[in-house]
This record gives sequence, C-alpha cells and structure tokens, in this order.
Amino acid sequence: MRAYELIKETFFRGSYIWIVHVAWLTIYGVYWWLFLPESPEYGRFVFIWGGFLLPLALSAGIFGDDIASGRICVLVTRPFWWGELYLYRLLGLSLQGAVNLILAGVIATVLYAITRKGSVDGLTPYLIASWLLFNTVAALSTSLSVVIHRTYNSLLLLVVITCGYFIVSMLMGYLGQQAGKGTFMGFVRYLCPPFELLFKFAHGEYDIFSLTVGKFSLPKSVACVVHSLMLTAAYSAVGIVLLTRQQFSRTRD
Amino acid sequence: MMIVAAALALEAWALYVVGASPERWRPTMIVKDEPAARALYETMIQTIRQADSLSYNCTCADPDYRTTYYRISLKKPGFFRVDLMNGPMDKSSILVSDGNNFSVFWPGGRPYLWFDDQESHEKTRLNVYMRRTVPANRVSIAGEVARLGVAWYGCILDPSTFHGRTDVFDPYIDGIRSRGTDKVEKENCDVIEISYMKAQRIRHLWISRRDHLPRRIKEIVRVAENQIVVEEWSGVSVNANVPPKTFAWSPPEDGRLWSAPTPEDFLPKGGQEAPDFELSAFGGGKAKLSDYRGKVVWLYLWQCGSPQCREEWPQLQKLYEKHKDKGLVVLSLNFVDDERIAQVFLRENPATFPIIHDCSAIARKVVRVDYRNKTMAIPMSCIIDPQGRIVDAWCGYEGNHTRALAALQKAGLQLTTDN
Repeated sequence: MRAYELIKETFFRGSYIWIVHVAWLTIYGVYWWLFLPESPEYGRFVFIWGGFLLPLALSAGIFGDDIASGRICVLVTRPFWWGELYLYRLLGLSLQGAVNLILAGVIATVLYAITRKGSVDGLTPYLIASWLLFNTVAALSTSLSVVIHRTYNSLLLLVVITCGYFIVSMLMGYLGQQAGKGTFMGFVRYLCPPFELLFKFAHGEYDIFSLTVGKFSLPKSVACVVHSLMLTAAYSAVGIVLLTRQQFSRTRD
Repeated sequence: MMIVAAALALEAWALYVVGASPERWRPTMIVKDEPAARALYETMIQTIRQADSLSYNCTCADPDYRTTYYRISLKKPGFFRVDLMNGPMDKSSILVSDGNNFSVFWPGGRPYLWFDDQESHEKTRLNVYMRRTVPANRVSIAGEVARLGVAWYGCILDPSTFHGRTDVFDPYIDGIRSRGTDKVEKENCDVIEISYMKAQRIRHLWISRRDHLPRRIKEIVRVAENQIVVEEWSGVSVNANVPPKTFAWSPPEDGRLWSAPTPEDFLPKGGQEAPDFELSAFGGGKAKLSDYRGKVVWLYLWQCGSPQCREEWPQLQKLYEKHKDKGLVVLSLNFVDDERIAQVFLRENPATFPIIHDCSAIARKVVRVDYRNKTMAIPMSCIIDPQGRIVDAWCGYEGNHTRALAALQKAGLQLTTDN
C-alpha cells in the first residue's frame, strides 16, 4: 500500500505532470503527422524526447521541492527506510516513462494505419532503448534532486548534458589520435548516461565513419541492457546514500 | 554482499562485451562467407557491367571530411569521363577516353602534384595535357587517378568495373556477409561486409534494393593506424542517353603534350652509395644495412595489403634460399603494417630472410627522403652491391624478375641459368 501511495504520488505531486505527458504525446503525434517518418527517424526522435527530455521534465524537483518546502519532514515522520522513498519514486517515474513510451508506439501505429506512410517496422528496440535511457536519466536527475533544491536538478542536467555533448564532439576532433582519447572516451561512454550505447543497441552501427557496421548481436544487446540497468542502479545508490545522510527532523514543528 | 558481487561480475561481463574495441584488429574480424551476401555483391558487379551507360556523382571523404568530388560518366563500348576536384572550390582534373585515346587535361591549369617543385609546376601548369592511345578496358580509372596523385582520395570502387575490369583485391576476399539494412538518402539499402586478406582491408557496401548499385562504400584499411575512407554515390543514372560530346575531347591548338614523371624517376640511380639506416627488426632487436656489407643486398619495401607484394613474397623466399650461400641477402622493410596483421601474414607466408618492421617517423624518412620514394610506392626494390653501392632501384613487381636478376648479376651474384 505504501509502495502504491509513493508511486502514485510521483504522478499527482504536481498538476504539470499530466500536462507534460499530454504535451509529449501530442509532440510525437505532430512529428509523425508532419514528417511521416520511417521507424529509425521516429525512433531517434522518441529516443531524445522520451528517453532524455521526458525524465528531466518529470523528475524536476522530485526531492528538491519537498526539501525546499519542508514537506520532506512530514514524509519522514513515518517509520520506514528512506531508501524506500527514493526507490518508489524512481519506480513511479519509470512506470510513467514506460506508459508514455508505449503510447508513443501506439500513436505511431495508429497514424501509420491511417496514413499508410512511413513505417513502424523495428520500432520496438527504439522504445526499449528509450525506456532504458529514461530510467538512467531519471535516476541521475532524482539523485541530483536530493542535493539541489527546487527544480534546478533537471535544468542543471539539461545544460550539462547538452554542453557536454558539444564539448566532447569538439574534443574528439582536437584529440585526434592522442593517447588520452581512449581513456576520456571510456569515461564518457561507460560512466555517463549511455546515449551512444543505447542508440546503437536500437539502431545498429551504421555511422558513416564507424569501424564496424550492422545490428547489435544478441550478447552485445544483452550487455548493453545490463550496463544501462547497472548504471541506473549505481546512480540510484548514490541518491539513496545522499538521502539517508541528510538530516531531516522526524518531528513536526 | 553476494548480490553486489554478482552485480559487479555481470557489469564486468557487460563492459567486456560492449567494450571490445573495433580499433584493434582481431581474428574474429575475418568474415565468413554467406551465399546470400555474396550474391548481392555479384549482382551489383553484374549490374554495373551489364549497363550500357552509367553516370553518377561521388564523394570520397575521410573522418576529417577532406573530400574529393567526382562526376563520372561511363558508356559502352569504351567511353568514360571523370571530372574530379579536391574540395568544392578546387580546379578540376578531367580524365576522358573516347574508346581509344585516353587523355588527362586541366581546363583551369594543372594542380600542384606530388612530384612538383615550384619551378617545374610553374613551367607546366598551363595548357598541358596527357594523352596515350589505349583501349578503355585496359585503363584502370582508379589506378590512373592514384598514379597521378590528383585526388586526395581515389574511388574505392574502380569505375573501370563498368568496362569489365576486376578489382585487384577481389582474389583476396576472405568472405562476404550481410549486415542488415539501412537507408542512404532515402534509398533502402542492403548492407554487406567484405573482408580481404584476413581482414587487413574491410569494405562495407550499402547496395540499393531498387537498382542493385552502391550508394555508400566504406573502406577500412588496417595498417599502423586505421584508415577510413567513405565513398558516397548520388545522382545515379543507368542506361540514360549520354551525349557523345561528353567523351569527345581534342587538344587545344596551343596545348602541350606532357607526361607526368613516375615515382621511379626519383629513386636513387645506379652507382650512388646506399644510404645506411638502423631500424627495428621484426620480433625485436635492430637491423642495420651496413651490417650486410660484403653481401649482395636486395632491399625490399613491402606491406601485407599489397597484392603485388603477396605475389612476389614466395618468389623472394625461393630466390633467397637458393642464393643465400652465394652471398645474397633479402632485407625486407615494412614501414606500414600493424604488427599483429604482419604476424598473421608471416605465419602463412614464412620467410627466412631478415625482416625489418618499423613504422616510426625515422623509417618513413629513410624511405621518403633517403631512398627518395616520394610517394612511398610499394613494393619498391633496391639492389645494393657488396661495396654498399646501389646497382638498380625500381617500384612495382615485374613478374618474371628479369630486371632483378640482371641487377643481382651486375652486383656480383653468381646466378645459374635456371633462375
């Protein structure tokens, strides 16, 4: 019951949540209607909107708001492990993400049935990859929300990841064949949210200058899923530790 | 605790699987043949050969987006025209054949080429053309472009395939496999992967499902550093009516017939002292040219990825075994290849003569500056007499070794009649 209440709370904690969902679903539909895309194009769009931007919107101030307003003190009066609070909220976000992405698939299928243009073949891996990315970004954002008050967690993450993308792209060109490039790329690829790996998991390796080509093999796909779940767990663990170390009063003022 | 340990083990496995670097050559990169994928490749070649005319634009670019632009028109029985430019603002070089006469000309003046110095370029920049009488099916367009050095990147797929030429690497295909489907500029394509020479060279081809012609070809050559070039086709037109004037060209009245020098023209001449060097030997240690003073040395520059070297290698070994007691040393120098790939080659093609494997800047300087191999042409041979003087030097593989045997004899090696 407690789990259900905490999960439900992630949806009802602000009236803007359902607006975000409706807005995102409308954006998916409009994108399809305007561009009649093939599944890789639509998949790429959902990957960024649903996998990256949606968790930022949904997790804005997920703890920061409560901490800033003092509501967190009310929540922690109940005798339960604070980690539960974190886990069920993250689970609530994850379920919302799953439903949103399933609806994104449904929208594409319905519009495809109506227009008979574009394609929905092979869309499922993109939706799975988007959901895995959603979880990782949501975990990172939720953990940040423990230490950054109000809704700045999402904003900070948006700015850092967007700027990071351009900086990394520039550095790649600058570093060329230098020895440190491998280590730097390893850090970006395996410790930051796995944009590159999950996109390749869905799309395959067809980049124009990549050294390989083709769809991900089954072991590589499984490894990719495992890595993204582990990263989600690691980001969550950091958030839980930070949350349990916070000093909140268990008694009301 | 157990759960954490299991999770860490699982993550370690995942990182191992996803982290396998495609930059390092591995035996698993050698492709096994899939009949369906091979059929796609053969259909593509047949489609190109069976067309009456074929025109397309193509760009050849590297990861730094240095791009050579081509406009290619081909027509049966033996016509072709290739306009190429390095970068969109460059002056174009034009190669044209009317079936019998193959010409190269530069409407805006000849670009600065690999053999030029300021003075020679200035003298021959304007109003020059090259011409020779040769049937189009005897010309390799990609080969001519490479020989002249007018393009940053030559075409991966030789346009002369249209006239029936076989790719020089085709006999060395390990296998062809399918790599799924992809789109190139809204064109649905089957993607295949071809590996050559134990994956020393790999090509990925995006073949249009509509007309069975390529839309993208990516070539990865694994040498000391991986080299990637991507050729992209657009504006493809098959069996369209190409006006005859496209292939007609006659020299202007004030034009001067000119011929470009060959890499061999710059090599050291007979009688000069062979520049000494000390480089890393294959498997460790150092090798010095002057250590072989008193013997007849055949200095042989090679690489695993050269079909000519692969053909010549066993003959060199035979010759060495036969004459080593008479004072012949074949000193082979590889300054190009990845060591693991060279190892694979040498396991299959064992050699008992000394092998130098050194990809350092010093080795490249020895080749380019000391031995004046300006284009780093491979294979290159240089016969050195026991006093350390050069007897003869040349590029390429002549097949019957006539020139080599004559030079060896001149250097003082006693040869029998059955060589």
